[in-house]
Amino acid sequence: MNIQVEGSEEYGNDVYVELFERILIDLGLTNRVEGAKLLIYPEKHLFIVTVMMRQARTSVKVSEVADVSDRDGNAYLVIRNESYAPPLLALLWKQFGRERIEQLSRLEILAHGITVGKIESLQISPGEELRKEVLDAVWRLLPEGFKVRHNLFDKNVMTIISTEHTMEEEFVQMGKRAHQQMVKGIGLDEGTEVVDDEEDESDV
Amino acid sequence: MYEVLMFDGGVYRINELYELVEDIGGFVIQKTQIQVMITVTIAIPAEDRPVIEAKTRELGGKLIEVPLAGTEIAVVGPTLGRHHMPHPICDIAEHLRKYGAITVVMGLARGKGRQTAQISADEKAFIEEYDAAVFVLGNFADCILKDKVRLFERIEVPVAVVCGPEITELPSCEALVCGIGRKVERMRRAEEIAKLEETARAVQRIVEARKEEIDEDPLFVHPAEVKQRIENLELVQQSLRPAPIVLHLDGLRVKVPIDMVKNQLCAVDIYGRKLCEIANISPSRLGGSTMVHILTKAQVASKDAQALSQRAIQTIGAVPPESKAEAKQP
Repeated sequence: MNIQVEGSEEYGNDVYVELFERILIDLGLTNRVEGAKLLIYPEKHLFIVTVMMRQARTSVKVSEVADVSDRDGNAYLVIRNESYAPPLLALLWKQFGRERIEQLSRLEILAHGITVGKIESLQISPGEELRKEVLDAVWRLLPEGFKVRHNLFDKNVMTIISTEHTMEEEFVQMGKRAHQQMVKGIGLDEGTEVVDDEEDESDV
Repeated sequence: MYEVLMFDGGVYRINELYELVEDIGGFVIQKTQIQVMITVTIAIPAEDRPVIEAKTRELGGKLIEVPLAGTEIAVVGPTLGRHHMPHPICDIAEHLRKYGAITVVMGLARGKGRQTAQISADEKAFIEEYDAAVFVLGNFADCILKDKVRLFERIEVPVAVVCGPEITELPSCEALVCGIGRKVERMRRAEEIAKLEETARAVQRIVEARKEEIDEDPLFVHPAEVKQRIENLELVQQSLRPAPIVLHLDGLRVKVPIDMVKNQLCAVDIYGRKLCEIANISPSRLGGSTMVHILTKAQVASKDAQALSQRAIQTIGAVPPESKAEAKQP
């Protein structure tokens, strides 16, 4: 994983790279993130984070991760692969409502009034889960007061532009440029680097 | 000036230490006994320290410096959000406790952000109830110097600021420790512990300065002595809160609501005077507590002089007008 940073304060830049690394380690995401770039300009009240995620696991059918059988007209699931348990439960809640889904034990679910066929054809998409987790990491990183946000999402790249006051066009353009560079993978193969503010100002 | 020390040793002949402390005019602040071992926090006149050291050697114990004992310190963060808590704010608070301080962690309601960061008058008054405040800020010098500095302006207790970037000077604070910014993990590396030590030393310096300031116009009675007199009150003994009485440099916090305890506190006898004559008793902003601010000797003397002149005026007023006329005649 490679984290790049540019900004106006050297100390802050270094600390935020370390903070992001620690947050990703805490959330167990170091292997799921390909690279990231932070643009930190406290004097402009601007903080941009752009992250490229690694390819998430491909979508799987419910029948591939759980045994589904009929029990008195209800679908009875026994989860075989525990790592899919949380997204599967979330998917069932979303599709059929919490009142119809009963979790009997850690790996057993009873879906009231739902046929086996309906459940088996459902698809679990871990990519969505990964995106949520990375977004959580970014929110933990962003300064607390920078509540005005603009998001850019691509297939594997997400960029969050945040500021304290009005979201200016200049900030959005900077974010878009960083987003595009990340989509193209520019600079991802380089080591962690700190770009001086003066050099960057010419680009802006 | 009183010095606070902690005796760590056995219970054998411990009464000799208590008697000696009493003889030299000191006080026992706290005793914690675990089976045959005991730790005793004592406040003694600084010039009598060698006597206590000799007694400690004789009893086979050791004396530990607890320079912040008898103080209550607020560690303040911009908010209570996970960006600031538990690290490094709780790490700092925990480290100060090792030096004997009672610490309270608090977050401001609207301290986040840059230009939007603010502190209310209520929050300032709340912080001013403590002996000193430690403000823990972030990683950007521009943010601290231009905006966060407003948070600790015009706070009447000594303030120490802890921040990330190296800043040479910061207004409105008595001490500045750089090198501790935002953290997401516990401060346990050697260099981080060194920074915690530096913070504790900075707090110790500002507390010492405050003590010296108090000694220029000394208190009528040491807070530890008042504590000894009031800890036997029934309401105080019934209080289930940890440390029902907390010592401050210029008074104490009693963790019982004022409407319940005021009359009892007022009636406590201190050298032939009532406590309310030599101290201001007021409600604490921290719900359910009472603040006792001990007056200085000069304040008590001035209060006495005022009362005396008031009595003299009343006596003159009570004399009948005829007798006054007679008195004027040659």
